[in-house]
Amino acid sequence: MIKMLRIEFKKILTYRTFWILIGLYFTFLAAGILLAEFMINHMVNNINQRLPIPFPHVAIYYFPDVWQNVAFFASIRYVLIFPAIIMIILITNEFTYKTIRQNVINGMSKTEFLLSKLLIILLISLVMTVVLTAGSFFIGLFHSGFSEVNFFTKGLPFMAGFFVSLICYMVYAFFCGFMLRNTGLAIAIFTLYSLIIEPVLYFFLRAPFLFKNTIYTYLPVNTVIRLAEYPAIPMLKKMMGLELQSNVSFTACLIPVAYAVAMTGIVFWVMKKKDL
Amino acid sequence: METILSVVKLSKSFGRIRAVNQLSFEVGKGQVFGILGPNGSGKTTTLSMLLDLIPPQNGEFSWFGQPPSKESRKRIGSVIESPNFFPYLDAVTNLKIVADIKDKPYDDIDEVLELAGLYERRFSKFRTFSFGMRQRLAIASALLGKPEVMILDEPTNGLDPQGIAQIRDIIAMVASRGTTILLASHLLDEVQKICNYVLVLRKGIMLFSGNVSEVLAISDSIEMASADMPGLKTAVKEIAGYTSTIETNGLIQVHFDRNINTSEINSFLYSKGVVLSHLSEKKRSLEQHFLELLQDTP
Repeated sequence: MIKMLRIEFKKILTYRTFWILIGLYFTFLAAGILLAEFMINHMVNNINQRLPIPFPHVAIYYFPDVWQNVAFFASIRYVLIFPAIIMIILITNEFTYKTIRQNVINGMSKTEFLLSKLLIILLISLVMTVVLTAGSFFIGLFHSGFSEVNFFTKGLPFMAGFFVSLICYMVYAFFCGFMLRNTGLAIAIFTLYSLIIEPVLYFFLRAPFLFKNTIYTYLPVNTVIRLAEYPAIPMLKKMMGLELQSNVSFTACLIPVAYAVAMTGIVFWVMKKKDL
Repeated sequence: METILSVVKLSKSFGRIRAVNQLSFEVGKGQVFGILGPNGSGKTTTLSMLLDLIPPQNGEFSWFGQPPSKESRKRIGSVIESPNFFPYLDAVTNLKIVADIKDKPYDDIDEVLELAGLYERRFSKFRTFSFGMRQRLAIASALLGKPEVMILDEPTNGLDPQGIAQIRDIIAMVASRGTTILLASHLLDEVQKICNYVLVLRKGIMLFSGNVSEVLAISDSIEMASADMPGLKTAVKEIAGYTSTIETNGLIQVHFDRNINTSEINSFLYSKGVVLSHLSEKKRSLEQHFLELLQDTP
């Protein structure tokens, strides 16, 4: 296992595209959070002009809300797409450069090859989750001070939910890249599906006058990004009549995990059948 | 002689095309074994099966007396078709990945790079390499960890004469160390220069296999002409070892199944009353010979 990771590390550590995409992920994430905060406060200011007792300034960085907010913004479609693209590139590169063939020729088994890719998904997800958790912790600490630190663990399951989201979404990307084998095509189809086709599908499937079932809750990308359904902005939620999501539901996690397991199974089966 | 590779009735079809048909052969330790055949004769398919890239339809093979596994592949250094490396990584990192897979230490990386003439460029990205350098890096990677067997598929394909010479020198050096070599090529000349044993393949079927010297030991023809052509044609048939005559442009080409010298023919015909106006030994080019070998079987 250590050996597989050592090999995968060599493939990514000096790979510029990899670091650029990681950078883009965090840039988009930070931009998303800052933009959301700005817009909310802008809205609040507008309302306050007409109210006798003004709302207080809305901050989204306090414990324990910070966990849910970071998990929410870190798993929205437009942000989560970057690690997925990383994974598509990492797998399709192996086909483009024919290094998958060479790895097998040199004495790697097909199973080992796939396992090493799954391992790297696990590791990238783990590292990103740890980085985001540490980041959120310091942001929360900075805003809340030590007075509220004793209940900072309350929202931590949201970070675990994010970890599951990231793994599953990267497995989807891995599946797409493995099946299509072509970098450009795989990125195009995956992005198109994630960002356009599925949201449209979701909209129509959810429309009460069209369907009366809950099939829309099983759309694969949707199940991933909705582990943290809403940002935790209590006042806003009350205003909009949304129910407070206090925790990540375990059963909600099971759906994307089931998709990811099925896709992994298909990948292993195809790998066994196909000529390299 | 210890058997390194044993292949029994190996077959593979792609749709209706029989790419490899009932192929059987053995490669012994230290042999430089050539698989010779035109493009599309099943050479690469055969090697791909031997390296577990393509599952065979029928038949089986064993490496080092054992069923094929990833462990046996770690003892083999292979260059199949194009050199496959990560373009954004330098030569050393690419070779480290290969060493990791093969469970070999990094110690020989400098040595194989030196051997391939790439030591100066070891920290250059693979992307920046010329075609010849890429091919040499592929051979360097195949040499990592001193493999017991080397498999080379068209190792000089597309290279310039200098590049070809460099690759052949490296192969000759490796062979001299006693490494078993399995080389596929469509160039008879290459097989003749490098190999000591050859298997001729056409449309997936083995036409011939044997020592290279044996393959090439079939007699050449003698060209003759005389003012009395009918008399000449009758007289040559009496020469011992005569096999056939082909008539072309006022000349006849006569084949013998033994080595025969021209003065022997001249004096024999003279004694039969035939005076020759033309007599010359016709050495067939190796390519010609190869083509004839392929045409012999329908």
